Amino acid sequence: MESFFIRYRNLLVLLTVLVAQIVGLAVQVRRTGAGRNTLDPQDGPGVRLIRMWADAVVSPPERLIHSVKLGGVGVWQSYIDLRHAHEENLALQKTIDRLRLEQAALLEDAKQGQRLQALVNFQEKYIYKTVTAQAIGASGSDQSRVFYLDKGSADGLERDMAVITPDGIVGKVRDVFPHSAQVLAINDQSSGAGVILETTRIRGILRGNAIGQPQIVGILADQRIQAGEKVLTAGGDLIFPRGLPVGVVEKVVRDPDPGRDGFIDVIVKPAAHLDQLDEVLVITSTQPRFSEEEQKDLATSEALKGPEAAAIAEQKKASEVMAERLPGLIDPNLPPEQQPLLETTNPNPAPRPPQALHPDRFTPGGAQPKTEQPTADGAETKPATPATPQGKPQP
Amino acid sequence: MTTMSGDFRRDLEVRRYPILVYALAPLIALVLQAWLPRLLVGYTWFDLPLVIVVYFALVHRIPIQGTLMGAGMGLFEDALTGHAIGVNGIAKTVVGFLASSLGVRIDVENPTIRLGLTFLFSLLSSALFVFVYRGLLGMSSDWNWMVEVFKAIGNTLIALVLFPALDRLQIRE
Repeated sequence: MESFFIRYRNLLVLLTVLVAQIVGLAVQVRRTGAGRNTLDPQDGPGVRLIRMWADAVVSPPERLIHSVKLGGVGVWQSYIDLRHAHEENLALQKTIDRLRLEQAALLEDAKQGQRLQALVNFQEKYIYKTVTAQAIGASGSDQSRVFYLDKGSADGLERDMAVITPDGIVGKVRDVFPHSAQVLAINDQSSGAGVILETTRIRGILRGNAIGQPQIVGILADQRIQAGEKVLTAGGDLIFPRGLPVGVVEKVVRDPDPGRDGFIDVIVKPAAHLDQLDEVLVITSTQPRFSEEEQKDLATSEALKGPEAAAIAEQKKASEVMAERLPGLIDPNLPPEQQPLLETTNPNPAPRPPQALHPDRFTPGGAQPKTEQPTADGAETKPATPATPQGKPQP
Repeated sequence: MTTMSGDFRRDLEVRRYPILVYALAPLIALVLQAWLPRLLVGYTWFDLPLVIVVYFALVHRIPIQGTLMGAGMGLFEDALTGHAIGVNGIAKTVVGFLASSLGVRIDVENPTIRLGLTFLFSLLSSALFVFVYRGLLGMSSDWNWMVEVFKAIGNTLIALVLFPALDRLQIRE
């Protein structure tokens, strides 16, 4: 018996190690209601311990490498590469001024929107608090699109928190360790995010494919879906707040599953640069109101640029009224497609007046012919002649 | 391919390395495997832990050691991914065992043979990964075999540089 174990000890060790791993795999996978096997999203204590050990070994060197890299880049950018810094500063200041104007102009709309939401008993969730984190490492496998952040539970991060950049969504926190966190990117095959197409309002679930492209899977074929259409978060997954940019439609392909004829997959070009992430924001809290910082920004915009924005709006309104009253731009006797405004041969065409907010009988082309109604004596009145902007008497 | 009879197995030289090499080589491989993909965006066509497993398994020629090292490295890699822990573990366990067993029978001092074996073991590791993921676990996953071939080529190129460098670190008596 002893000679058997000695003779076959190599094979016995191999079998023991393999069986142990197979049993370990079996406890990590569960069967879904649809009859498909999937990885249990909540790691067991043993699995989580192994992940924590691996993270504890790999994270410190990664953090060190990342710090050295950041330090080098910081020294270069802060002390050496300062060409055009003044011009960039001026350009950024102009951008801030422009954004303040836009913010002040949009402030009233936002307030009105909140009032209406309160009326219909619906509360929009705003991004209330975020934590800035650095991406320090990846999984090392192109079959698993996860990466690691240098912030963890000690910084307030928790499982299933949304990770975004100013460009768009990135993923969600999959696992949290004391000083680091694992993020599952939206282009991983096991990810899932509720999204909506901006124009067609078609909803679907976004997940990654084999080559790391995010795609909206298993939606009914619809010819309205065109390349370039924006994709936004739908808010139904309780992870990503509604309305965050996801990307744009790149192309539409047929569902590869032969049993799902008539279904399509929509390949999405992500708005965030998923392969070149350095700094990300983790949404740690959402509230049905603006954050203190946002409120402060809004107040500053209102105080500094509110009168200016109002003046610009007034000016815009006046120019619209003037454009409406300019003679010769609208010919009531011509159909809409032959109006002089649409003339393309003119090298200096007149600007087309904007649509009137409240059309009345003086609006060009807006006067409706009077309906024929019987008078008291039974005679019918003739349709009224359309009014002309020039006020010329009609024959 | 040059083969040896069983009588010569005991006579084969078993290489020895400083303890730091045993500790640092796998660790550096794992850290670089996790960090380099951030630099080489979209071109992660290599598996450094696999190359290390193949190297030490071939030069030590001890199947139990190769098995355990493959299992350890594979489990470590799995722990860093979002996958179930054990998929890479099983693949590299088998590779470590086979590489050690072949090291006894084949003249692995020949650089061409070592590179050829690295290429084949890379493909075997990928095939085992797919088998475990789809066959054993029954999970659906898209797969691109061309990427795996590129990865095997990448591993062979790394082995071309890394194997002679590690050879120089061995303790010579």
